[in-house]
Amino acid sequence: MGKNVIIECKELSKTYPVEATMVHAVNTVNLSVNKGDFLVILGHSGSGKTTLLSLIGGLTSPDSGQVFIDGVENWQQSDQALSTMRNSKIGFIFQFASLIPTLSVMENILLPLSFGHNPAGSRDLALDILDQVGLADKANAFPSQLSGGQQRRVAIARSFINCPDIILADEPTGDLDEETEKDILALFRRYNEQGTTFVVVTHNSDLAATQKGARVFSMRQGVLTSQAG
Amino acid sequence: MARHNLEKQLNILEYALSSLWRHRLKSLSVLLVFGAVIFLLASFQMVTQALSDKAKQVLVHTPEITLQKMSAGRQEAIPLAYGDKLAGIFGIRRVVPRIWGYYFDEVRLANYTVMGLEVAEMPEGARLDTTLAKGTMPRPGDDAQGWAVIGYSITNALDLAGRDTFSLFRPDLSLKPFVVRGEFSRDTDILTNDLIVMNLADARDLFAIPAGLVTDLCVYVANPTEIETIAKKISETLPGVRVLTRPQIQKTYQVVFGWRSGFGSICLLSALAAFVILAWDKASGLSPEERREIAILKILGWETSDILAVRFWESVIVSGLACLVGMTAAYIHVVYYAASLFRPVLMGWSVLRPNLHLLPRLAAGDILLILAFTVLPYLAATVIPAWRSATVPADSALGG
Repeated sequence: MGKNVIIECKELSKTYPVEATMVHAVNTVNLSVNKGDFLVILGHSGSGKTTLLSLIGGLTSPDSGQVFIDGVENWQQSDQALSTMRNSKIGFIFQFASLIPTLSVMENILLPLSFGHNPAGSRDLALDILDQVGLADKANAFPSQLSGGQQRRVAIARSFINCPDIILADEPTGDLDEETEKDILALFRRYNEQGTTFVVVTHNSDLAATQKGARVFSMRQGVLTSQAG
Repeated sequence: MARHNLEKQLNILEYALSSLWRHRLKSLSVLLVFGAVIFLLASFQMVTQALSDKAKQVLVHTPEITLQKMSAGRQEAIPLAYGDKLAGIFGIRRVVPRIWGYYFDEVRLANYTVMGLEVAEMPEGARLDTTLAKGTMPRPGDDAQGWAVIGYSITNALDLAGRDTFSLFRPDLSLKPFVVRGEFSRDTDILTNDLIVMNLADARDLFAIPAGLVTDLCVYVANPTEIETIAKKISETLPGVRVLTRPQIQKTYQVVFGWRSGFGSICLLSALAAFVILAWDKASGLSPEERREIAILKILGWETSDILAVRFWESVIVSGLACLVGMTAAYIHVVYYAASLFRPVLMGWSVLRPNLHLLPRLAAGDILLILAFTVLPYLAATVIPAWRSATVPADSALGG
């Protein structure tokens, strides 16, 4: 494994039972991601890209193969170590807003910091990120008071609060209007330029074109293919 | 590291508190139902203990040994001459005849307990005055014919507020008049509430018991530590006579209250079981929102143990508050409302139920028992489903 590699998948496979048959959601995927890379994985619905993100993020265990984050294999770790890794190194953006409806926007954003390492000024940082996603005035609103796109932007803001090394994003711009989408992609670019690694899965092929230097892959029936060569 | 852990635990506690507040309607409903169950259990336990204590306190005035003649397994009148046969037993201070019976008042559908005594013959007869709120027991030489000392409920039942005379029917339906000379203190209600004490001759006349017979012979002993030995000697001297010692009577009262408390407790435990089943049903069927919340927390880096800690603290706070509310309400119910909810169960074969001033007692063991029967099942009913939910892959709960 290279010194600069932050994510490595080796022979990664995951199957799900669907009725009487087993479906290969992820089929023998090998992937190496360097620090600061911007990966775009294109694929249709049901191609297995969300499952691949879950495997990389340690949310689900593979049937076979390994995932290494910063050289440490996900499923060789205890629940505590895996949780700490998720909390400190990874920011998740799911294709649905995934906010807790009874918490305010600010409380939702600060949720990853509930582990005793709240840096001083975390509220200021949260407000700053909220400002970057265009929701500075919604800090005290509840998710039910926001549109789908606004909720998505809160979830994006939350993923950045811990200053993670890796952002795993599943259809991050799905609910957003064109203008907001541009802003969010610009935000991604800024963080990427500062060294944050992005793995973005989407069915939107235009998204790849907007990110300079992005490594683009396609996924079909669980098989990952590089579009570079 | 220690500071980090402490801060983390405080954050978890804060999250648990805010979660309770966010679901305040649900939390309040559980708190009220849970509090009501603890209130019922604690009230029952308190009132049973208080009654037992009260009975023990009042039974000090009863004779050390009571003799009753038995025939075919039933009690019948005992000849006064039996007392003479005990003369040879060393340690007996005095044998005093007594008539103890029940008078059914058909108008008020109430049973009165009637006791005929020769107070002057009782070794501690003068001490009986201490059980009275007003008046006195008759002194030797008093014209004691037709006097009566009555319990609190008799005053009300016979409507004696403005007068001090009343009449009871003899078996031949002729009326026998009485004058009230004293009233028992409310502190002795547990035994005297429905009691009418009168002269032995008056009781014999009222119940038409032939001369030379009484219902009991009360034996007073010189040394209370010898009660059992003397009782044994009496049994040998008078076979066919039931010999009841004061400790036995005290034990009977404890058993009676214990039985009634047990019966009531079984009914209450059913309520408790229903509550636990409800809590289990509610908690095990975590709503999609709750499962989703757990999944989000896991994705954001919460450990399974953190999620369990949140549920644990939520349950501890709810059950702790429910215990506090339930036990405080139980104390108020017993002290200020004389356990009015349970009096029909715990006090009464008679319709004249004593209006006792009870001093509740709840031992540490009782508190632990109540906690074990309430808090532990509730904790299990809330934490186990959360653990089940927290151990499934987070992404499956999110449906991605």
